[in-house]
Amino acid sequence: MRRVSTIACLALVSGLLAFGSVNSASAADEYDYDLVHSSVSFKARHLDISWIHGRFNEVSGKFSIDRDQPAKSTFALTIQVASVDTANEARDEHLRQPDYFDAKQFPTIEFKSTKVKPIKGGYAVTGDFTMHGTTKEVTIVLMGGKEHDFKKVKRVAFSTELSLKRSDFGFDKNAIGPIGDEALILIDCEGVRK
Amino acid sequence: MPEPLLYLKATAAAAIVSATFVLAMAGVRRSAIATWLNSTCVLAIGVGLAAGYSVLSLHLAWPPRNGLDRLLTIVVPLALIIELISGVERVPRWVAWFLRISLTATIPRILLHGSVYLSRSDNDWTLWQASLAMALCGALLAGAWSLLSCLSERSPGVSIPLALCLSIQCAGLTVMLAGYIKGGAAAIPLAAALVATSIGAKLVSKRTSPQTNIGWPAILGIGVVGLFGLLFIGRFFGRLSTERAIVMLLAPLLCWVTETSLLRDRKPWLVGSIRLVFVAIPLMMVLAVAKHDFDRDMGPLLGVVGVSNVSPALPLTGDISTKGIFRRDRQEDTQMIQTTSK
Repeated sequence: MRRVSTIACLALVSGLLAFGSVNSASAADEYDYDLVHSSVSFKARHLDISWIHGRFNEVSGKFSIDRDQPAKSTFALTIQVASVDTANEARDEHLRQPDYFDAKQFPTIEFKSTKVKPIKGGYAVTGDFTMHGTTKEVTIVLMGGKEHDFKKVKRVAFSTELSLKRSDFGFDKNAIGPIGDEALILIDCEGVRK
Repeated sequence: MPEPLLYLKATAAAAIVSATFVLAMAGVRRSAIATWLNSTCVLAIGVGLAAGYSVLSLHLAWPPRNGLDRLLTIVVPLALIIELISGVERVPRWVAWFLRISLTATIPRILLHGSVYLSRSDNDWTLWQASLAMALCGALLAGAWSLLSCLSERSPGVSIPLALCLSIQCAGLTVMLAGYIKGGAAAIPLAAALVATSIGAKLVSKRTSPQTNIGWPAILGIGVVGLFGLLFIGRFFGRLSTERAIVMLLAPLLCWVTETSLLRDRKPWLVGSIRLVFVAIPLMMVLAVAKHDFDRDMGPLLGVVGVSNVSPALPLTGDISTKGIFRRDRQEDTQMIQTTSK
């Protein structure tokens, strides 16, 4: 009888623990990158007198946002390099070549968060940014995070701007030429809850 | 951006170092034997390439990151080593060809390593497509290499390596014109080192026994591998079309024209000249078409005046697709003005 009661107690405790863990896992909301309502664009200096603007049309990503424990939130974004679009097909083809993005060798630009810190109005997200086969740790300031229920679908949105030097990511310094080394990346993304 | 002055310096560096090396080594050992001459040629090409690429500052990465890195840090050194071994008289002929065929079979796999072609994601090649493409490319290389070697044994002459260099230089220019500047620039020291070594070896062979094997197999081997590698990275990583790549790879085989009964017994200088002319014809045609495409697609991007109908004031928006829009806008503007005036 004692053995039965011990087993019953253990089962109850483990059940409670399991429920607790499920409960804590469900505290984080999972979102998919909404390609229709998001954009990843960039601009780079031309001849140091003007700016060339462009965007990437194929992007995917996932966010997991834990409102109770923001440090447990995660952000991941994958950009298809071949989808570069500067409103000029010849230039896009040139940008896909090995002198620039080398899209056949390095088909994606990726960001994966490793540390998330809540700040006023958003999150400071530190993560691994991989471009042109080189990974560097960067910290981006994601502003936003406000949720909105639209037709019973929960949405969340963030915006950020990121300045990068192409030479830091293994781009050939000789090929930088008239296009400036520094590029400004602008991300406005909306997530749709799974 | 292309830097003609730098390319000239790289050409001079590669050519001077290779030629000096061949002549200096010939001076060290006056009674040259085949192994000695062959090793001299291979090493001369090696040091010439090192000098040329150091002037060119190509910033090659180790471990290699892309196709060009793999070509210059793995494939070309492997070709040099294989030709060094194959040139030793004691090494049986079948061993030399076994090494060469093994190299031709592995080059496509080495150059495509880590690329989208082998990543097997949804949008790219399947396993069998990748294997078939690599096998076909390897077979094409092996075919071109063996046919040139066969011709070199039947009817040797400096014109064959010179024809190969012509093709390499043309391949470099075409790859550059297709928008892959760094890839095209890699051809410059290769062609210069091969030309200088070929001419140096020819001069040395005149002084020694004319019967001596003067290192043509080594020069041809490294040249064919280099040409194939440049065209391969231009095709698979740049925008070089398959047809143009095949024409440039096979163009040196037109040297076989002089084996026809009509031309076979002509004077050596005439045979050599005919070979070069025949090889140059398809190369010039490819180059002309590539230049035309460059003027149409890339000229406006670089703001080259006179290559586009679009005003030079709009160098970054005047490509083929936007030209139509501008024209339509102008027509619409005219119509609007007419409507307003009515």
